[in-house]
Amino acid sequence: MSKAAYFILAVLLILLVMVLGLLVGSFETDAGLLADAFFQYNPDNLTHFSIIHLRLPRLLLALVVGASLAFCGYLMQAMVNNGLAEPYLLGTASGASLGAVLVFFGIVEITIAGIYMPSLFALLGALGITLLVVLLGYRRGHIIPTQLILAGVALSSLCTAFVWLLTYLSDTEGKLKSVIFWSMGSFERASWQLLPYPTVALGLALLLFLFMQKQLNILLLGAGRAEALGVQVARTRWIILITVSAVTGFAVATSGTVGFVGLIVPHVTRALMGATGKYNLLFCAFVGGFFMLLCDLLSRVVYPPAGLPIGIITSFFGVPFFVYLLSRKNYNFSS
Amino acid sequence: MRQIRNSYFRKYPLLYSCLLLLLFSCGGERKPAETERVLQDGLGREVHLKKQQPARVMALAASMTEMLFAVCDTASIVARTPHCDYPAAALTKPVVNNYPVDYEQVLLLKPDLVFTVEGITPLEVADRLQELGVPVYYFKFRKVEDIFSGLDEIGRITGREQQAKQLTDSLRQHVAQIEARHQQQQPPLKVLAIAGYDPIYVYGHSTVITDKLRILGAVNAVEETFSPLSREQILKANPDVLLGGTPEEMEKSFFSIYPELRKIKAYQHNRIYAPTSDLMGRASPRVVESIRELEQFLYP
Repeated sequence: MSKAAYFILAVLLILLVMVLGLLVGSFETDAGLLADAFFQYNPDNLTHFSIIHLRLPRLLLALVVGASLAFCGYLMQAMVNNGLAEPYLLGTASGASLGAVLVFFGIVEITIAGIYMPSLFALLGALGITLLVVLLGYRRGHIIPTQLILAGVALSSLCTAFVWLLTYLSDTEGKLKSVIFWSMGSFERASWQLLPYPTVALGLALLLFLFMQKQLNILLLGAGRAEALGVQVARTRWIILITVSAVTGFAVATSGTVGFVGLIVPHVTRALMGATGKYNLLFCAFVGGFFMLLCDLLSRVVYPPAGLPIGIITSFFGVPFFVYLLSRKNYNFSS
Repeated sequence: MRQIRNSYFRKYPLLYSCLLLLLFSCGGERKPAETERVLQDGLGREVHLKKQQPARVMALAASMTEMLFAVCDTASIVARTPHCDYPAAALTKPVVNNYPVDYEQVLLLKPDLVFTVEGITPLEVADRLQELGVPVYYFKFRKVEDIFSGLDEIGRITGREQQAKQLTDSLRQHVAQIEARHQQQQPPLKVLAIAGYDPIYVYGHSTVITDKLRILGAVNAVEETFSPLSREQILKANPDVLLGGTPEEMEKSFFSIYPELRKIKAYQHNRIYAPTSDLMGRASPRVVESIRELEQFLYP
């Protein structure tokens, strides 16, 4: 299949899963009712209201978060030149969890001026820990990938230890449930107010890297050869780090930590499109979005009506497909 | 008959001797001591008591401590958990951590029997206590009547049947009076009782709250659920009354997170109430107090 065909297929599949996702919920919905909700919207009809204000933003958030994590995973793997890298490598997920958990344990009110504080603190936690990790991975004007990975692992462990300490000292079951729920990821809080933040972050990042795809591909050859070929490796790495921390930070802040997507979707992309395709990043975002939408739909079909935590589904359904893909394509990370 | 038995014994003396030996050896181990008493708890488990009547008891759940204080001799209650704060007399008892269970402290206090509730104490903890020589008796509460029969059971176990009966007769009478007042509620009010805001957990259908609502001529707005509720589920249930916090608290910590839920009838008609959390969450002798509190909310 040609690369253009893969793109068209991805878009069609996204639309198909979106429509199916709009049909699934507590209120029984058929195609006619769905069309009415869009073209003859009645705000007093609770089914219409649910389709437009609950299901649609949820699906769009799943799409954006899936795309964000896959996109950031691709960038991280290119930056450290290692197929095991993923967006949470910089401590983003643990930092975000720590931020959110601090709010659950009462450091501030749960909402201030209508802003949901766990999300804001998760964003601050993600950015803060990422900054620390980068500072530890930085030496004489250069980012040292190995040092960066080790710093990420160490600080993630430290944040996780704090999260567990707070959880252990928790005095109510409700707080425990909040922490557990957050750590497994969910799109249940999706709303039209929340959606612009991760969407704008992803949109800007995609736009930026559409012009930097060439540098990314050269970076896969290793820092020395990339320098020799005229790529400003240090600057490119800084741009990647800032982008990944911001985009992942917004994704985690809106939906908790969803594992696995950022790790496997970049591999799927390279398996289908080749290691150095011109539009790999864009395709990776599409596949990530589609995969997350599919997992969200499956979670709600398998365990209706609220659905299973999304992190469980991404692993359950993602791993077998991933193993199949790796074996079928005789896939190699950088060639 | 005697001849037949004798002839068998003569035929197979070795077999009979072995069987007799086996019988005596088993009997030596398994034969209950004269004072031992075997009970069956709410989960169908066998509970072996070393004495006919336990002289020292304790509970691993706040609701159970309330029940013990309602029936038992106060001096016989040897401990409380950090969560047990009612009645006031409970606060004078030594504290035993119940999560995780402080086994050493339990052994130090030498209870003859420990009471607890399904879901509060894991079964493996009960097994461990049993190994350490401390029997654990579980209760399971689904209905208001289960609480009363539980009080009667505690009375039977601890030799305080009379005290327990007096108490439960009175409680049953109060409940019957309240129930009689609300049998003609048509249509019944749909009530959603929130247990956690983020994610949204509610008191499900098989909890005592459902029975309290039935007594008040109302219904629980949700079917059985153990997982968090989605906003769409709540919109579909569209409850008439919401229990979970004062209107101000719920506005700040619930409706501001889920503004879409402002569409439900309870919000539109400002029927949001804050029941006392201990009365809602504990299956205790204060259940009548809890029903009366709910009655005031549902029929102001």
